[in-house]
Amino acid sequence: MSQWLAHVIERAAAVDDWLSPVRAEALAKLKEQSWPGRRTEAWRYTSLHAVENLSLPTESNAQAEAPAIKGLDAIDLVFVDGRLTSDLAALNLPEGLTIRSLTDKSDIAEQVFTQVKPSHHLFGLVNDVLATQGIVIEVAANATIERPIRVVNFATDNVESHTRVLVSLGDNAKATVIEHGSGTGHSLNTAFAEYDIADNARLEHYRFALHQGEAIHVGGSHFKLANKSRLNSTLIGYGSQLTRLDVDIIHAGEHAHAKFNNAYLLAPKEHFDLHSTIEHAMPNGTTEENARGIIGDKAKAVFNGRIHIHRDAQKTLAELNNRNLLLSRGAQINTKPELEIYADDVQCAHGATVAEIDEEALYYLLTRGIDKQKALVMLNFGFVQEMVFDMPNEALAEWLQPILKQRFEDMMERS
Amino acid sequence: MLTIKDLHARVEEKTIIKGLNLEIKPGEVHAIMGPNGAGKSTLGYVLSGRDGYEVEQGEVNFNGANLLDMEVEERAQAGLFLAFQYPVEIPGVSNMEFMKESVNAMRKARGEDELSSAEFLKMAKEACKQVNLPLDFLKRGVNEGFSGGEKKRNEIMQLIMLKPKLAILDESDSGLDVDALQVVANGVNSQRDGERSFIVVTHYQRLLDFIEPDYVHILAQGKIVKSGGPELAKEVEASGYAWLGQADEGEKA
Repeated sequence: MSQWLAHVIERAAAVDDWLSPVRAEALAKLKEQSWPGRRTEAWRYTSLHAVENLSLPTESNAQAEAPAIKGLDAIDLVFVDGRLTSDLAALNLPEGLTIRSLTDKSDIAEQVFTQVKPSHHLFGLVNDVLATQGIVIEVAANATIERPIRVVNFATDNVESHTRVLVSLGDNAKATVIEHGSGTGHSLNTAFAEYDIADNARLEHYRFALHQGEAIHVGGSHFKLANKSRLNSTLIGYGSQLTRLDVDIIHAGEHAHAKFNNAYLLAPKEHFDLHSTIEHAMPNGTTEENARGIIGDKAKAVFNGRIHIHRDAQKTLAELNNRNLLLSRGAQINTKPELEIYADDVQCAHGATVAEIDEEALYYLLTRGIDKQKALVMLNFGFVQEMVFDMPNEALAEWLQPILKQRFEDMMERS
Repeated sequence: MLTIKDLHARVEEKTIIKGLNLEIKPGEVHAIMGPNGAGKSTLGYVLSGRDGYEVEQGEVNFNGANLLDMEVEERAQAGLFLAFQYPVEIPGVSNMEFMKESVNAMRKARGEDELSSAEFLKMAKEACKQVNLPLDFLKRGVNEGFSGGEKKRNEIMQLIMLKPKLAILDESDSGLDVDALQVVANGVNSQRDGERSFIVVTHYQRLLDFIEPDYVHILAQGKIVKSGGPELAKEVEASGYAWLGQADEGEKA
């Protein structure tokens, strides 16, 4: 048993708010969980040694401003070390959009909290019992919210924090939500988000997990898709001391479409672990997932991509592709595709590779006078940059591209 | 500019170029015509230095240097440009960053200062306009999702921006309608300045109505079997390649 988890369970008993009955159920499940070791499948390649006996203060007085992104014009909601620092009453919200604190009782929060996220995620349960601070975003039926909604989540130094995001999109609603997390100090942050997407609704989603250095970040984004709804999600991750993300996309209605692009760039010695699970429970759904990783010297990436097609999910079309580029012999990737298909009339493709340079593309760049070394850098980075170009929001793509390029160039130098 | 003497080259185990001779002086436009399988595209690849295209014998002199001793990028930096018949798509690299790297690599090789972002953008916008490509194409991946015609125009745009000494156009007309053909031809003609030389490789005479060559060569079975003036292209147009004693298989996809 980990001292940290024992302490979590102790602290959970003291949490008392309107969600207490639901938290109590989560706590009961948490108590049944054993501390993951090497034989625990979901944690096979990621050691929790750094968390096991961790003891950090649970409060800070730190202040921070949301990083400006040119041309984004987002509705910003800021958490610093788990504290919501934005004044919700001061927000000038468009019609059809309601934003509440999780501390305020609401039907929407009740409908979404713990209802989308599967209960087997250990840190998800920790978040269930300890995340008293959170944000509840409700987009009314038929509303189209043009301005992106950005939830900024800072972890500073020497602090443990837990934040929660709940999002409900009504029928035919349309919105963009950005989960923007970062932190460099010695901290532990869990950040889980649940998205309940109703019939014909469209969600454009981004998760930036830009934690570095000593930060420990464990979180998840979980989506439930109703009939004919559409999800376009992009996840960009660094490694940090330990970053672990779980993404679940659940096709709970028919004819839903999910696109999930993700890219991870690991500087030397960083650790990044992404587990994605696509559940096709209903017929005629489509999923397209592209995962791309560039891994620096002595860094370790874990990618586990599971597609589960239930018996009733006929005519499902699901594709998952994972490509990785190792920058040195000391870089490591553990990639595991998992396909479970119980329906007989489906199309499913799944692949994981360690990338090689496209010789024809290299030749093309060389015939344009570009030096071989530079051409290789362009092609290697291009492999991840493709995910950035594919982001529908141009302001985000233009902000992110130079940041990732700089990180990549630093990685090349150090590998 | 370029002197090719008794060139023999093979791809894998198959010898494609079998004793080719060609002399190109500054400012000249040479058309190379011939049936499919004659070695037209192979010539461009061999001159550009593509991997897998091996020279068995012969010499190629490019402005006083032994071209065959140079790396692919060195040949480009020395002023050799190849406009591809089927340009490759590179989704993760934007046209903008690609062209900026390329233009600056050429400028560096010529001893000129690198362009600033603003200077480059101005030049790129003008070139875009000249070949009738929308500006937002600069932000897109290299050739990504471009139609055949857009890819060809992108090649010509690169020709305009890179200012090579010798440009080889490999079937720059294939798959183009008359309007697109005119855009490509106008782009090429705008670069004829009495110094820059061109090798225009084509299956059909039609492109040569728009880009008038000084010389026309017929390439068949790996060597030049006939040379002449523009009138030779017209003969080919009238009689095809049947007189070479082999069937013309027609345009392949």
